[in-house]
Amino acid sequence: MNRFSRRTTVLGVGVLTGVLLTTSGCLNGGGGAAQVSDGQGEVGGNIQIAWWGGESRNAKTNAVVEMFTEANPGVTTETQSADYAQYFNRLNVQAASQSLPCVVQMQDRQVNDYTKRQTLMPLDEMVASGAIDTSQIPPAVLDGGRGSDGKLYFIPYGIAWDALVVNTTLAEETDAGAPPEEWDWPTFVEYLRTAQKGLPEGKYAAPAGGQLQNTFYAWAVAHGIEVFNAEGKLGFTEAQLKEFWTMWLELQEEGVSLPPDMAAEEPPGADQGYLATGTTMVGALPGNALYVASQTLEGTDSGGELVSRRYPDGPAGIGNILVASGFGIAANCDNVPTSAAFIDFFTNDLEAGVGFAADNGAPTNTAVLEALTGSDSELPELKRAELEQYEAIVADNPPKVNYPPGFNAVFQQSFQRNYNEAAFGRQSVDDAVATFFAETNASLG
Amino acid sequence: MSTAQTRVAMPRPWSAETQRPARNKVLRGIIKHAVLICFLLIMLYPLLWMVGASFRPGNQTFAGLGIFSDTYTAQNYADGWSVGNLNFSRYFVNSAIITVGAILGNLVACSLTAYAFARLEFRFKGVLFGLVIATMLLPQHVTLIPKYIIFNQMGWVNTYLPLVVPHWFAVDAFFVFLMVQFIRTLPKSLDESARIDGCGHWGIFWRIVLPMSLPAIGTTAMFTFVAAWNDLLGPLLYLPRSDLWTVSLGLNSFLDQTGQSTYGTLFAMATLSLAPIVGFFIASQRLLVEGIATTGLK
Repeated sequence: MNRFSRRTTVLGVGVLTGVLLTTSGCLNGGGGAAQVSDGQGEVGGNIQIAWWGGESRNAKTNAVVEMFTEANPGVTTETQSADYAQYFNRLNVQAASQSLPCVVQMQDRQVNDYTKRQTLMPLDEMVASGAIDTSQIPPAVLDGGRGSDGKLYFIPYGIAWDALVVNTTLAEETDAGAPPEEWDWPTFVEYLRTAQKGLPEGKYAAPAGGQLQNTFYAWAVAHGIEVFNAEGKLGFTEAQLKEFWTMWLELQEEGVSLPPDMAAEEPPGADQGYLATGTTMVGALPGNALYVASQTLEGTDSGGELVSRRYPDGPAGIGNILVASGFGIAANCDNVPTSAAFIDFFTNDLEAGVGFAADNGAPTNTAVLEALTGSDSELPELKRAELEQYEAIVADNPPKVNYPPGFNAVFQQSFQRNYNEAAFGRQSVDDAVATFFAETNASLG
Repeated sequence: MSTAQTRVAMPRPWSAETQRPARNKVLRGIIKHAVLICFLLIMLYPLLWMVGASFRPGNQTFAGLGIFSDTYTAQNYADGWSVGNLNFSRYFVNSAIITVGAILGNLVACSLTAYAFARLEFRFKGVLFGLVIATMLLPQHVTLIPKYIIFNQMGWVNTYLPLVVPHWFAVDAFFVFLMVQFIRTLPKSLDESARIDGCGHWGIFWRIVLPMSLPAIGTTAMFTFVAAWNDLLGPLLYLPRSDLWTVSLGLNSFLDQTGQSTYGTLFAMATLSLAPIVGFFIASQRLLVEGIATTGLK
């Protein structure tokens, strides 16, 4: 063998080794097809638990994990956490390499991206066998954990909902006054217009609602419009989206809602957005963000008091939808009984639920919710008000939105970008709507 | 009209300027520096704002665009440093271990590789060098999942190894290129002199090329330091266990898109996390500038 062929052989072996390692990694990383288990068996051994959140939630979740391991002496845990966006970045890589942690936190907006690739285990049989108790969770709330195939993939433990938060200090300086307890869309829009007339220069009655997907969902469900259809494509028509965007563009032209350049510069997060810093009078926030937004507003020069109101009702009823977060089990998990036991504990243990203090939305477990809203609850007043609003919304049986696979990759960006194309005057509303439909339907489902 | 035409036709009184060159030079210097300082302040303003915000009470972090505040507190620093079960010093230590490992790896591996490409003659040298350079065109996301699968199969997740070991195999083509460019500028006559004195390749590399490549080494060390210290995605994937977190992951833990972020403590710890970078830059500034100026990267 001459030098050339020897070197070629060495190079070839090197490349082949790399390919084989990669291939074996792909093939041997865990379960391919989603396996099914009833979750019964010995609770012991090690499980990995992953969730999203910051330092505050990490401390509370770790406390619950400790309570679980104390209650189950044979169990050890490895935990991992990151902020929401980074959490899903990591989870995507772990899912692609079939090495997801056994217990993964999931949200209804994300779940179908994972169920489509069979990386999560259906939990229906675990519920049927009693390994996971869901008797304390209202059925409509439990449905938040179902994938588009109807199977239960995670057990919701916390519910977020979007609310309209109003700076009553600003509102009461205008003829609009304090917001009514409930309203419909025409009343809401008129309330904004009246308020804007009395607001000082540089203050706006409303956010740029046309670019907010949650505001659109609220408007759509209140009007009986299906957001996504059974095929996982857009369920509303171009005319309906045009009507919604036109409403907000008119408010923008009248100076009632934020101009698009300011809206584009708004810092993210309920605790630093324009409502929290006193620039807008009404904000569309997660209902459980009332407390943090209030804290920031207190620190501003103008100060102010915030109250939370439901989205306007419509001809079809309530405009609020629920966003469910909870724990599921990875298809590649090799310790299903312990994972199921942990999910059951996290969702149902009263002491754990009270200690977690509704940190990721209202507790789905009614006993925990009652304990947190009861007269002897140690929660701050605003936090309790958030939970009471959740109770009122759930009582009205809010509709569920089934987010199809691909939703996260395209919908929000396309919705915001195309609305802004119209808001900045670069496209007509008709063209923006048409572009949005073409972009989104190509990637959904 | 004729008077006006005459005035227009007259030469400009340049003599007045040439008579006071020193004064104008000083004036020009003052104006130039004033403009530069203004630009410097504009560039540094976000940084200064962050430092100012780190000393404000938590709920006043976003109180305005001004740097100064009515009330100041060091509480953010105390809270940030004692975050979670560990404290932030642990994250600094973890970042330092990874950064030092990555710098040493890059210096050793990239300089040896660069020496080979710059000084040795071997078959397919041009093609292989082209392949190395071509890897710079490959987005890191393309290799993200294959790398994760390999390291996970090797049991390297939750260890520093995936973030350090690859650097010992000259995978950073940019630094290889930088050093090749630098070594090519060194006179080959020095190598030949060393060879006459009995040096082999290792001797030439160690005694001649390496000491003369300090600017390129300094540049490589500086860029590696910044990249490793600021890296978020690598530690996020390979160091999920909180006792292994780096500074960037520690900073990320102050954010919570779905709950309450603590920006005051975030800015306080971000300010502290900049200190090593600024210190390293000051220490290696001369080498960095020289390295960039002499490797054709300018």
